[in-house]
Amino acid sequence: MTGMYASATREATSQLGQTELSAPSKTRSRRFRREGRAGYLFLAPSLLFFLIFLILPSFFAIFLSLSQWGGYDLTQIKFIGVENYSDILNFNSTFLSPILVNTLVFAAMSVVLAVAGSLLVAQCIERLKFQGFWRFLYFLPVVATVVAIGNVWKMMYQPSGLINGLLNALHINSIGFLSDPKIALPSVAVVQAWASIGAAVLILTAGIKSIDRTVYEAAEIDGANSWQTFWGITLPLLRPSLVFVFITQVIAGLQSFALIIVMTKDGGPVNSTNVAAFEMYQQAFKFGAWGTASAMAMVLFVIIFIITLIQLWVSRRSGDDD
Amino acid sequence: MRTALFGRRGRIAKAALVVGAAALALSACSGTGSSGSDDGKVTLTFLSHYGQDPMKSGMTKMIDEWNSSHPDIQVKQQTVNFDDLLTTLNVRQTGGKGADIMSSYSLWGGQLAANGVLDKPSAEVAKDITDNYSTAAAASVTGGSGQVFGYPTEFNTYVLYYNKKILADAGYDKPPATWDELKEIANKTTKKDSSGNYQVVGISLIQDGDNQTAHPFLSLLDSAGGKFLNDKGDSALNSKAKETMQLEADLAKSGATTTSIMPTKTFPSNGVAMAIQAGWWIGSLKSQMKEEYSNVGTAPVPGPKAGEEGSLAYSFFTGVNSGSKHKKEAWEFLTWLNSNKNKEGVTEMGDFLATNGLIPPRKADADILGPKLQAEDANLTPIYDAASYAMAESNAANAYKAKTSLHNALNEILVNNAPVDQTFKNLNAEIDRK
Repeated sequence: MTGMYASATREATSQLGQTELSAPSKTRSRRFRREGRAGYLFLAPSLLFFLIFLILPSFFAIFLSLSQWGGYDLTQIKFIGVENYSDILNFNSTFLSPILVNTLVFAAMSVVLAVAGSLLVAQCIERLKFQGFWRFLYFLPVVATVVAIGNVWKMMYQPSGLINGLLNALHINSIGFLSDPKIALPSVAVVQAWASIGAAVLILTAGIKSIDRTVYEAAEIDGANSWQTFWGITLPLLRPSLVFVFITQVIAGLQSFALIIVMTKDGGPVNSTNVAAFEMYQQAFKFGAWGTASAMAMVLFVIIFIITLIQLWVSRRSGDDD
Repeated sequence: MRTALFGRRGRIAKAALVVGAAALALSACSGTGSSGSDDGKVTLTFLSHYGQDPMKSGMTKMIDEWNSSHPDIQVKQQTVNFDDLLTTLNVRQTGGKGADIMSSYSLWGGQLAANGVLDKPSAEVAKDITDNYSTAAAASVTGGSGQVFGYPTEFNTYVLYYNKKILADAGYDKPPATWDELKEIANKTTKKDSSGNYQVVGISLIQDGDNQTAHPFLSLLDSAGGKFLNDKGDSALNSKAKETMQLEADLAKSGATTTSIMPTKTFPSNGVAMAIQAGWWIGSLKSQMKEEYSNVGTAPVPGPKAGEEGSLAYSFFTGVNSGSKHKKEAWEFLTWLNSNKNKEGVTEMGDFLATNGLIPPRKADADILGPKLQAEDANLTPIYDAASYAMAESNAANAYKAKTSLHNALNEILVNNAPVDQTFKNLNAEIDRK
C-alpha cells in the first residue's frame, strides 16, 4: 500500500513537470550540493591521510610488484610484467617453502595459543576477586615494546638462560630454543602468543560480561556443571568476540616481523623462522629487490584477505551476524 | 555553458594539481644531496656509522680540523648504527635527502653503483686508490666494471684465533697448519658436561652480525684456493668450495663446532679453543680478557696442505653521492681526509684506523704503523700479513643476496647436517638465479 502511494506520488510529481516544482527543487538540490561540499571538506583531512598513506602506497606497491627496482632512484623503475610473481611462486623459490609455510604455521600456532590462553585467562579472571588488577597484569605485555619482550625471552631461551637452567636442574638436557631449526619457530610463536594475550583477554572478558546472567542461572537450576556451562553457554555466546580475536590474531600472526628480527636477527637458523614480512624487508632494504618484495606483499595480502573472508563466512554461517 | 566550462576548468585544474604533486614528489625523490650553499659557503653532509666512541670522537676530530682550515667548505656529520646504515642510505636517497658523502660497507658497493648512487671518482683519485692501497683493500672497493667506489677505510682480514692454554692442555703447543690438524685439535679440545652443554667448543665457524657463517667459510675457501663469485656476480664455487663445505660438515658432525655458541661471548671466558675471526677482534679481546689476553694467539687460517693459507678481506669506503650538488667539494674533502699526513708521515685516516685496531688500508701507512704495532702485540702480525694474500670480499650488485644464500646453505650443513653434494648444488643454482 505504501509502495503504491509512493509510486503514485512519483508519477504525479513527474506529470506536474518541472515548472511548478522547479524553484523549491533547485533550491533543495543547491542546498544538498552545498552540504555535500561541506561534508567532503570536513572529510578532506582524513581522506587525504588515507590517500597519501594507504591508497597511493597500495597502488605503488601493485605497480612495483610488476616492476624491477633497486630502490634509490624512482626514475629507474622498469616494468617487467608478472616476472616477479613467477619467480616467487615456483617450487624452486624459497618463498613458497619454507617462508610462506613458516608464515602460516607461525600464525596458526600463535593464534591457537593466544586464543586458548586468553580464553582460559578470561574465564579464570571472571571467577577471581580484584578483576581489574588481573586484567591490568595480563595487559602489561601489550604495553611493553616488542623489542623489550623479544630480548627478555631471548635471554631466557639461551643455553645458559632461565628456562634451560630449570631444565638442567631437573636433569633434562638443554634445548636450543632459538638454535634448533625444529624448535625455533614454535619458540617464537609462544612469545608472540604471550605478548598478545593481554588485548585478547580484555575483549573476551568484555564479551563474557555481556552474556545475560539469567542464562547461567537457568543452566544452574537445570543442574549444568561448570564444563557444560562453558561449552553450552559461554563459548557459543562469546562467538562474536572470539571471531574478532581470531581475525585480529591471524592478521597479526601473518604480518609478524619485529619479534622475528629481534629474537632471531636473520630468520634463522636455516630460514626456520623466516616469515613473509621479514623476507620482504630483506628483499627490499638489504638486496634492493623492491619488485620481488612488493610481489611478496601482494601474495601475503591475498592470503590474509582470503583467510579473513573464510573466517567471516564461517562465523556468518554459524549465525553470528544475527 | 558556464557549468560545462567550469567543469572542464575544474578537471583541468585537478589534473594540473595531480601532475604538480607527482612532479614535486619525483623531484623530491631524485636522490639529490642535502648540502646547502649560503653566501658562497658550502655545507656537506657526511653519513656514517661512526656514532659511538672511540670512532665518533676520532672522526669528529678530523672533521673539525678540516672545518677550521676550510671555512668555505664545512662538513656536517650524520651518524646511524651500522645495522641501520644500508636502510638509511636507501630511504634517504629515495626521499631526495641523501647525504653528500657516505660511508658504506664494501659488500654494498656494487648495489649502490648499479643504482646510480655513487659518483665516479676522478682518474687521479682512482689511481691513488688502485696504486697506493693494499691489493685486497683496493679490490674490495672496485666493481666488476672497474669502477672505484671510494676510499677504502675500515679494512679487516681474517685469521685463526686460538687459546694457547686450552691447546696446551690438550697436548698441542702450536696452532693447526693443515685442515687435518685443524680437525684433530678441534675434536680433542671440545668438551661437554653431563647435560650435553658445551664447556669448550673446539672451533667456532661463526661470527657476530649478519650472515654469521659466511666470513669464516670464505677464509677457509681462500686457503683452499677457491672463489665465491665472479665479477658479474655468478657463482664461482667449484670443487674447492665443496671440499671446504665437507670440512665444515665433518666438524659439525663430530660436534667440534656449533652455531649455538657465539665466540665473541664465550672465547674471552675460555669457552672456545679456536675461532676464525676478523682483525678488529684483538681490541675487544684485550679489553675483555685483561691479563688472560696472554693466552690468545693468532695464526693464518690453515689450508688443506701445509704451507697453504687463506683469508677474507673486507673494508668500508667513503664515497660521494652522485646526486650531490657539490661533488667537487666532497671529493676534495675525501682526498684530504684520506691523504692528509701527520708528523709521523702517516695519514690521519690511517692513524685513526690503526688506533681503533684496524689495518690502515694505505700501504705506506701500514708500512710505518705495522712494525710499530706488531712490536707491541705479536698477534697483529698474521693479521697484517694476510692483507697481502687475502681474497677481497665480492661487491657485485647481488653479492649481499648471494652471501645470504651462502649463509643459509652453510647453516643447513652446520645445523641440520644436510648432505654436502645437494646443498652445494642448490646453493650454486640459487646464486645464479640472482
